[in-house]
Amino acid sequence: MIREYIPVLLQALVAVGFAAGALIISVLLGKSGLRTQTKDSAYECGMVPQGEAQPRFSVKFYLVAMLFILFDLEIVFMYPWAVVYREAVVHSHVIFWSMLSFVSILMVGYVYALKKGAFDWKK
Amino acid sequence: MIPAPFLEIAVLTWGLILLMVDAFAGKTDRRGVAIAGILGLLVVLAASFFLTPPTPAAASGFWSFYTADPLAIFFKRFALVTTILVLVMAIDYAPAIRMGVPAANPHAGLGEFFTLPIFTCVGLMWMASAIDFVMIFVSLELVTMSFYVLVSFTRRNPATLEAGVKYLILSALSTGFLVYGITWIFGVTGETNLTQIGTVLATQEIDKIPLLFGIALVLVALGFKIAAVPFQIWVPDVYQGAPTPVTAFLSVGSKAAGFVVLLRVLTPFLMLPQVGRLLVGVAALTLIYGNFAALPQSNLKRLLAYSSIAHAGYLLIGVVTFSGAAVAYYLVAYLLMTLLCFAVLVVVGNSGGSDQIEDFAGLAKRSPFLAFAMLIGMISLAGVPFTAGFLGKFFIFDAAIRQHQTMLVVIGVITVGCGFYYYLKVVRAMYWLTPPADSQPVPLSALSRLTMTLLIAAIFVLGVYPQPILNALDQPAARATISMFR
Repeated sequence: MIREYIPVLLQALVAVGFAAGALIISVLLGKSGLRTQTKDSAYECGMVPQGEAQPRFSVKFYLVAMLFILFDLEIVFMYPWAVVYREAVVHSHVIFWSMLSFVSILMVGYVYALKKGAFDWKK
Repeated sequence: MIPAPFLEIAVLTWGLILLMVDAFAGKTDRRGVAIAGILGLLVVLAASFFLTPPTPAAASGFWSFYTADPLAIFFKRFALVTTILVLVMAIDYAPAIRMGVPAANPHAGLGEFFTLPIFTCVGLMWMASAIDFVMIFVSLELVTMSFYVLVSFTRRNPATLEAGVKYLILSALSTGFLVYGITWIFGVTGETNLTQIGTVLATQEIDKIPLLFGIALVLVALGFKIAAVPFQIWVPDVYQGAPTPVTAFLSVGSKAAGFVVLLRVLTPFLMLPQVGRLLVGVAALTLIYGNFAALPQSNLKRLLAYSSIAHAGYLLIGVVTFSGAAVAYYLVAYLLMTLLCFAVLVVVGNSGGSDQIEDFAGLAKRSPFLAFAMLIGMISLAGVPFTAGFLGKFFIFDAAIRQHQTMLVVIGVITVGCGFYYYLKVVRAMYWLTPPADSQPVPLSALSRLTMTLLIAAIFVLGVYPQPILNALDQPAARATISMFR
């Protein structure tokens, strides 16, 4: 049982040994390069880098992401609903009106977000 | 005659309509939204007296999640009354909201502050009717999510932000406990419906250890809701930091709903003696901690927070002895006196004062009516005879003595003594200390004066004539559960 895993162990040892060996050999044989400030700076297609590496971005992105999740999740309800709709609607119309009320609640949320300026990118 | 589920649908629809009104209202005054909300909830409250009686046979489909028994109807009305009173307070609190919400429009945020309590009310009403763990969880989440927003509403205030973050994290944690507990109970019994769980427990031989583990986890989550020791850590900070009407809503609405769910969830588990012993321990700890920690408080909101923990202890005695009527009466008394105190706190806080007890110094000379209202609230919380608070404690201790829980009664009576000290500290500040030299009379709107007068009257009427509340719950049903407990 455990013997079957020996190749895996062997491969792990070879991988670690090769990575460590390559590093050690390059330190032993190679020359240490010249380091300047320009050489250490971030490479941006040959241009002189501007600003910080982690710039601040608009809080709107988080709002859009949140709204996306909110309105995207309705799919979770709509798929099973659509699958059983044809058989269930024969017995009663509750299935139609329940989805209609669900969508209208979402609609209220959409109108609310619209009126409160959640989609207004200029602000 | 109206079917019971229509009440929640009406409240929900009204809330959505008001939200839309607010979205399209532009720069007009938002107090109309609150007035419309109060009127709408009053209509629903009136409609709750004309319900079609529930058919006992229907226990499938929708009715296996939802019940319209007397307990549910009673707590639906309780949630409606609480929300109406909170909205009255919220109107008075509007100037503080304007200062606390960063926006160019002076009415920004007010519409949401008036409509969110209505959605919370829907959640509380569904919680009162929930007899299935799935339904309990969903309605609990609706309540909690609205409270996340409400607690951190005045977000310019760092104390409010702190309260919001603490409430968010601890509430989410307790929700996790609840779901995990439900999973264990479902794993053992194969059911989420409370009645079905009771049947399975009574008929089948079941491994008790995982079941106890599950119910203990559920009790942790509900202990958080009702602020029972040792899950009370969040209460003082959140109560102090949240906007005052929200604190009132948290301490009455959220707690009452927690107790309804506790009564319902415990029904199938009462044959397990370990659950009873656990609850006795929690009740004793809650009584001692709440009352003793309230003694040194100098901030009135914080004092009311500790008092809310203490009252959870008295209510837990009622739960341990499983006297639904005593718990219901105590919760009604607690609603009246707590909301009265918070209403005075909102009005006094608006006129420039803070929540410190010393700011109430000489209130009797500045505004005799407000001081009188606060006096009635405080002596009722302490439990002076002829107030609703006294009879509440009386019924609880009566039930405990009948069930031979002598230890709890002894602790209860001692801690009531502590209560007199810290509640009367506020009364002393109002009536015996001299007001600062530059103090002005506190302005009071007609609506608030009317509400406070009604609350004071109700405290005295229920303090001498408790029958309407005691008869509201179906007596045969309550007796049946008590006999099952024995």
